Amino acid sequence: MNLSLKRDAFPRLTCARCESCVDMLFVRGSGNCVQCNTPLRKSNFRVQLFEDPAIDKEVEIRKKVLKIYNKREFDFPTLKEYNDYLEQMEDIVYNLTNNSDVEKTKQMMEQYQRENRDVIQRNKVKLTREQEELEEILLLEQQNIEQRRLETLQEEQRQLQAKRKNKQALLDELESSQLPAALLLAKHKDRASQLETQIEKQKQNVKPTNIFSTGIMMGQTVSLAPVTRVEEVLYVYQPIHIDTYGPPIPELEQLGRLGYLNHVRTASLQDQAGGYTSGLACHRAVQDAFSGLFL
Amino acid sequence: MLLSRFMKRLNHDLSARKSGKSIVLANSCALDRIINSGGIIPFSLDLSTHPQSAASTSSVLLGFESTMYHNSSQKKFWTFDKEEHLDKLRLEANQKFCTKASSSGKTGINESMLLNQWEEKVLLRHYEKRLLDFSNMFKPAMPKSVVGTAFMYFRRFYLNNSLMEYHPRIIMLTCAYLSCKVDEFNVSCTQFVGNLQESPAAQERALEQILEYELLLIQQLNFHLVIHNPYRPLEGFLIDLKTRYPLLENPEVLRKSAEDFLNRAAMTDAGLLFSPSLIALTAVLNGAARAGLKMEAYLTECMGLKGDKEALSKMYDSMRRITSLVKAYELPKIEEVNVGKQKMESIHAEFASNLKRKHGYEDDEHVVKRQMVTEEEWTDEDLDEL
Repeated sequence: MNLSLKRDAFPRLTCARCESCVDMLFVRGSGNCVQCNTPLRKSNFRVQLFEDPAIDKEVEIRKKVLKIYNKREFDFPTLKEYNDYLEQMEDIVYNLTNNSDVEKTKQMMEQYQRENRDVIQRNKVKLTREQEELEEILLLEQQNIEQRRLETLQEEQRQLQAKRKNKQALLDELESSQLPAALLLAKHKDRASQLETQIEKQKQNVKPTNIFSTGIMMGQTVSLAPVTRVEEVLYVYQPIHIDTYGPPIPELEQLGRLGYLNHVRTASLQDQAGGYTSGLACHRAVQDAFSGLFL
Repeated sequence: MLLSRFMKRLNHDLSARKSGKSIVLANSCALDRIINSGGIIPFSLDLSTHPQSAASTSSVLLGFESTMYHNSSQKKFWTFDKEEHLDKLRLEANQKFCTKASSSGKTGINESMLLNQWEEKVLLRHYEKRLLDFSNMFKPAMPKSVVGTAFMYFRRFYLNNSLMEYHPRIIMLTCAYLSCKVDEFNVSCTQFVGNLQESPAAQERALEQILEYELLLIQQLNFHLVIHNPYRPLEGFLIDLKTRYPLLENPEVLRKSAEDFLNRAAMTDAGLLFSPSLIALTAVLNGAARAGLKMEAYLTECMGLKGDKEALSKMYDSMRRITSLVKAYELPKIEEVNVGKQKMESIHAEFASNLKRKHGYEDDEHVVKRQMVTEEEWTDEDLDEL
């Protein structure tokens, strides 16, 4: 008889049943409680995991609520908001578990679900993807363990076989050889101990795992020495020298001080908006006048 | 590489160009506008095939080089030391065509049919005058620098080409058209040919020819499109005189005569021999001399030539040469022009069939060769009505 108990996930009653009873009672999928006559569904029965049914119930509820309230910390701008959100969720779980304000709480949940449908859906997809990745990793790990187990098993088998062979060889020799038994025995002991050390040795260098759990190869030496500094010759600015083949040209900045700007049209406000100054035109004219004059 | 890419882009634009400027030049102009407004921000419009120039273009865009005359392609490639040098180049171009003509196997080609160097010079003068007239009549009014640039293009083109090979009438218009683009005088091509006093059909034909020859012109200019004209230097000198030379009470009185001088200098080879700044200074000193004003102190004090006798005398020498060039200029005699023109027209008629198609980009497979309009439908006489 299967002793695991099943219980209505959202029990309005506290009646628990063993699994086979549930199977029997709800052959048609649903029926009334034999004790209190409440209509129940078979699919709502769960295996009871915890001793206290209230905890079981809370776990169930929490699962359901978390399906809706599946936001994560980085969905919130501040930690405080996230904490408020968590608290709200806890309130809902508490209310549902302890049957207080059930209707109101459910309404609240529904409203939340309506309002955040997109986010919920998105997070759900994300979570499943992460879940899948995790499962994949777990599967890989399991496979590794299995393989290692098989290897050790094979190894042991081989050793056992070797020992047996050794023993058989002794018996054969004792049977057929003319040498004194003591000598043969000593020889055998010697061989056995040799085998033993061999096995011991093999055990010691059982294929060392060559990878850390972090994914870094074991043999690889992670250099902790500081990166060697490359010494480069630093760039030194050298002012450009252009031979203008003419008299020296006053600097743009000095045009005003030297009085050049008194003789050119002043730039209008509109001109200046674009970055133009009367000095630019003046400087260019003077540059053009002096450039190549002594050629 | 640069050349072929440039060609391709221009070809690509050809169909779209009827509506206005080609993309390439519009781009360059946009960059040049930045320069103009900035003054010191360097950029060179030169689309040279010269590796050094190509390299300098990229460095220029990074702002390492200035746009001034002293490191321009004009100084490097288009300023010659002697007039004899210019004559030699022109003679070579003339002779190149003569050998080509005589080896063409055409019957009835003899020495007397072809133009000699002197006749070419006369005709060149004549067409320069025509170019001047055209630009003076141009609406909207053409800025002086655009005219100056057009003159320089024209002069540079016929330094290495004979008038017998390319008809100066169309080259002249193409030069003006190109200089409008390069010097940022924004006229659409229809607006440009609208200045020819002719029927719309004739204008359309002229436009087609201009667009056809434009690339050849650019190529013959070796993609050196930036021209340094003496007009801005003149402004610079006037500003400098006002600032540093109080001996001259009102430098503005010199402006009129100096500008006249520059206009006349544009009709001479001065631009191929001297730096624009020196031409401008000559114009100023010339104007001052005419007004009876003393300017020697300006050279010695302000230009810092006081102790440098050698540089000073060299400068005076150059200025004398410029002045004599300008003074020596005279309009060609009408009879000589007519004789030369007749000869030239007959040569062009003779060689039209086999020389016409030799225009750089037409070798390119991208261009669908279109039927050439008969050139003679649009003659000098149409232009004379201007």
